[in-house]
Amino acid sequence: MAAPVLCSGCPQRCWALVWVYGRCRHRRGAPVGSTCNWMRGQSSVAQQPLHTARKPRKGEPEWAAVVGLEIHAQISSNSKLFSGSQVCFAAPPNSLVSFFDASLPGTLPVLNRRCVEAAVMTGLALNCHINKKSLFDRKHYFYADLPAGYQITQHRLPIAVNGSLAYSSCAGTKQSQMTTRTVRVKQIQLEQDSGKSLHDDLRSQTLIDLNRAGIGLLELVLEPDVSCGEEAATAVRELQLILQALGTSHAGMAEGQLRVDANVSVHRPGEPLGIRTEVKNLNSIRFLAKAIDYEIQRQIQELENGGEILNETRSFDYKLGCTVPMRDKEGKQDYRFMPEPNLPPLLLYDTASLPAGADSQQVINIDQIRERLPELPRVTRERLVQQYGMSWDHSFTLLNEVDLLAFFQNVMKETRAEPKKVTSWVLNTFLGYLKQQNLAVRESPVTASALAELLDLLDSKAISSSAAKQVFEELWKNEGKTPAQIVSEKKLELMQDQEALEQLCHSVMQAHPHVVMDVKGNPRAINKLIGLVRKATLSRADPTVIKTILERKLSS
Amino acid sequence: GSGRITAEMIEHLERLALVDFGSREAVARLEKAIAFSNRLHAVHTDGVEPMESVLEDRCLYLRSDDVVEGNCAEELLQNSHRIVEEYFVAPPGNIPLPKLDEQEPVLHS
Amino acid sequence: SHSLREMVSAALKQGQITPTELCQKCLSLIKKTKYLNAYITVTEEVALKQAEESEKRYKNGQSLGVLDGIPIAIKDNFSTSGIETTCASNMLKGYVPPYNATVVQKLLDQGALLMGKTNLDEFAMGSGSTDSVFGPVKNPWSYSKQYRERRRQKPHGENEDSNWVITGGSSGGSAAAVSAFTCFAALGSDTGGSTRNPAALCGLVGVKPSYGLVSRHGLIPLVNSMDAPGILTRYVDDAAVVLGMLAGHDPKDSTTVQDPVKPFTLPSLTDVSKLCIGIPKKEYLVPELSSEVRSLWSKAADLFESEGAKVVEVSLPHISYSIVCYHVLCTSEVASNMARFDGLQYGHRCDIDVSTEAMYAATRREGFNEVVRGRILSGNFFLLKENYENYFIKAQKVRRLIANDFVNVFNSGVDVLLTPTTLSAAVPYLEFIKEDNRTRSAQDDIFTQAVNMAGLPAVNIPVALSNQGLPIGLQFIGRAFCDQQLLTIAKWFEKQVEFPVTQLQELMDDCSSVLENGKLASMSLKQ
Repeated sequence: MAAPVLCSGCPQRCWALVWVYGRCRHRRGAPVGSTCNWMRGQSSVAQQPLHTARKPRKGEPEWAAVVGLEIHAQISSNSKLFSGSQVCFAAPPNSLVSFFDASLPGTLPVLNRRCVEAAVMTGLALNCHINKKSLFDRKHYFYADLPAGYQITQHRLPIAVNGSLAYSSCAGTKQSQMTTRTVRVKQIQLEQDSGKSLHDDLRSQTLIDLNRAGIGLLELVLEPDVSCGEEAATAVRELQLILQALGTSHAGMAEGQLRVDANVSVHRPGEPLGIRTEVKNLNSIRFLAKAIDYEIQRQIQELENGGEILNETRSFDYKLGCTVPMRDKEGKQDYRFMPEPNLPPLLLYDTASLPAGADSQQVINIDQIRERLPELPRVTRERLVQQYGMSWDHSFTLLNEVDLLAFFQNVMKETRAEPKKVTSWVLNTFLGYLKQQNLAVRESPVTASALAELLDLLDSKAISSSAAKQVFEELWKNEGKTPAQIVSEKKLELMQDQEALEQLCHSVMQAHPHVVMDVKGNPRAINKLIGLVRKATLSRADPTVIKTILERKLSS
Repeated sequence: GSGRITAEMIEHLERLALVDFGSREAVARLEKAIAFSNRLHAVHTDGVEPMESVLEDRCLYLRSDDVVEGNCAEELLQNSHRIVEEYFVAPPGNIPLPKLDEQEPVLHS
Repeated sequence: SHSLREMVSAALKQGQITPTELCQKCLSLIKKTKYLNAYITVTEEVALKQAEESEKRYKNGQSLGVLDGIPIAIKDNFSTSGIETTCASNMLKGYVPPYNATVVQKLLDQGALLMGKTNLDEFAMGSGSTDSVFGPVKNPWSYSKQYRERRRQKPHGENEDSNWVITGGSSGGSAAAVSAFTCFAALGSDTGGSTRNPAALCGLVGVKPSYGLVSRHGLIPLVNSMDAPGILTRYVDDAAVVLGMLAGHDPKDSTTVQDPVKPFTLPSLTDVSKLCIGIPKKEYLVPELSSEVRSLWSKAADLFESEGAKVVEVSLPHISYSIVCYHVLCTSEVASNMARFDGLQYGHRCDIDVSTEAMYAATRREGFNEVVRGRILSGNFFLLKENYENYFIKAQKVRRLIANDFVNVFNSGVDVLLTPTTLSAAVPYLEFIKEDNRTRSAQDDIFTQAVNMAGLPAVNIPVALSNQGLPIGLQFIGRAFCDQQLLTIAKWFEKQVEFPVTQLQELMDDCSSVLENGKLASMSLKQ
């Protein structure tokens, strides 16, 4: 099921031979955002396919896949795009519905300022040109959860255009190098979400809940600069982090706050683009990658078997791991776009063009929003690498986990410990405990201050690192004790009494004459003695100090 | 257009609009309406921007992001002919209309 | 003056008549003129309750203003909370909105008494008020002494009388309601002339305000980019009072302008010598224009001239295409606006339940009349991808040319334009229905719809009776947002022409209970 595919390196637009796998190969547990290297570069080529695949014939060009993404992000706002009803994830059916949302005749849309600001902010973060004038259009189609018979969107002149999304992943065997690619952002448009249909097949009816109807969406249309599932997944993950950093969307895929459709086609380089299919129902980043790769593979197989690709909408079945045609509207669809007559053009200003004496509640200043832009994930990672000497890989992990960066920074603020030590503790020990118990950062029983105190004890050599682990475990039990209290209660302080240590070393050497003998022939056997002494100290002694004493005693 | 409406166009429009012509006269009326509209082509409009609103130069009113509506499910549902609990009820979806020749007589009286 | 402000309100204030008496008077006239079919719903209980409250306010000296206790009627395409709103369509039979249109709310807040919801062409698509699912509206002038005498018939014929004339439309119910004295003011809507046209045929003042001056929230749309709530009254001053109450920004309608609106009080012009009246003779003098209208138009121009105004001939070169342009834009927006009527959330729902699409299609077939369905299909045709540029965009370009024509004329120093409102006086129903709706609308909207394309204010002023004894009106068109200036000029003109009162038998029979014979009519009319 695997076949060679050309994966275009987006910035350079060069082609590299890679292998893309279909449904037969499951790459279980592959962390998102760090494995794009498997499909490009020589290591990928060297990796032999596990399953039989037709080797490309001499002179026959390889397949190239072209993937375009359309992303809908629910805007994080109190009220809907055009009405004053609440935006809320869970509520009784039809309780968050205004007369406008239910399309009662005579109701009119009134634009939510917050949604416009969110769109501008997102546009700026994605290096877009912000259109000073944008327009709203009606897109017509009949669907039970679209009560007006049309959706208000921005078809002709969207609020932001011509941007780019840079996304990076750690590459190379050492996971220490980072590669950055770019996907162009064609446009960002404001539009209404639809309601929800619950299909009750048993009673052959559809239940309609309009709570979601009219929530503001940012539709982000990306140019087809992506060529495989992992690239798409990494790009979407980066976008998710950006939206979350901006606060313009919660961007949870499982919650439907971020929805991704992928347009997939394959062709041979140099030849015209192939017919594309649209893959929907991608509700996690992992499935997004799987679905795209499956679809690429399916199309290649289809074409190689002499079949043809239909321009159709397909849905990803995550149980089967494949895409299946959706029963969609048959025949020619024509959305009959028309300007929304109830919304005059949306005009935006910058400081230079701001009309004098304008009501500040009624004008939006792009420059002002630009000034309010928070640090973007890419910059944060660069800062972490530069400021703390962190590896790229670690910087990614820190940002990938909600609130983990803030936790790390809080620990850093309060501890004297080295950044590398802090990074290691946060990413290995702390994150490990969280993962094991499936907790979020904010649910952690160990606070940043407690960890900082613990790392200070370690840093001042008051405790050994194994004792520190013990203290951490105690802290995790959340019994309200400080690290210092735990250390003293459990007697975990390092033995500072030189005389007592000398005595212990002496006793151990006496008790194990064979080991002492061994050291004469093999200097490395001293480690065994060190271990025995440590055991006798209940791990409270610094091994380097023990080693010094032992060496002195052995040589005397 | 020539003003003549093909059978394909009739079906296409009926499907998009979910409204039927119902009679030959209705088709003739559309043909007349199109012919009437074709008079527009006599007007010279090169370089003229389409006008969609007489308020195109005015600033679009912006609402502040406050929750001021909702919680009126009961009022909304009472105008609906079919509800289940607090839901509106539609027949099964994603089933296209039957083709013209498959339609029951009632659909094209 | 002899308007609401001076007469009826004064009478209420001085206790010569109570709001309840006035309300009952109007209710009784509504019953007596039921054959006019002006009302779809008569809100007797609501009105009497409002009257009672108004009466309390008057007794406590806390009247809300000129409109407190004044009976009004609302066209049945304005949303009224708790009161069925049908648009004269099967589609909305039984639909009870949970909210009031902003204009309705504003009138109620002023203490006006809601007498009922008036008849119209289905979804306001028509120019005769004949295409209503509740049947056609009859013009009260059909039963006036003036019309009957000239036809050498008895003043009050039987209902089956086939000579009755149409009200014009689509706000014919509102026009008939005011014209038959069942209320003092009524709201209509005006998309292509739907308020001015029936005002002209029923001998009323009909105002179409500037687009963006009055909220459309709650007005069930025909063409959002051209719709305006219209006002029908017997006097310009009355219309000005109502317009003053309704005008202003509405946070629920993004197309209302945010500039503050000052209250409307019309000065009485004594000198028109500084005015410049534009006459678009070339374009409006069409062959179909009746000689009576033509001669009244010419006389009106002479009147201004003789009083010292500058009267100039102006040209609106693209106006002849306006009706075609209007047709394309109107049907396209109709196609879109009517998409929400599917039977799911409100309104008519068919019995078919096999699929959503089948249910929608059957509901829409049963719910809409032929005219509405025809416009939906035409509009969808114009909006098709392959036709969009050729028809819709083309029409929008022509719209700009038309709007620019007006701008150019007003920039040349013209204050108002004076034109006919209709081609002729009202025609008998039987004659009217010979042509199909689209053809009729194209003829009847010919002088009125261009104003909507440009968003300008315009008003019909009744001028005189035709040889047949039926009203003829003329239209004044003003600059955008110069509604007050327009009405000031219209008021001066109104005073000069002294349009006669309808002499309705019902009124003659039955006014003694409140005031002496004929006084109710004259209260709002002549002193």
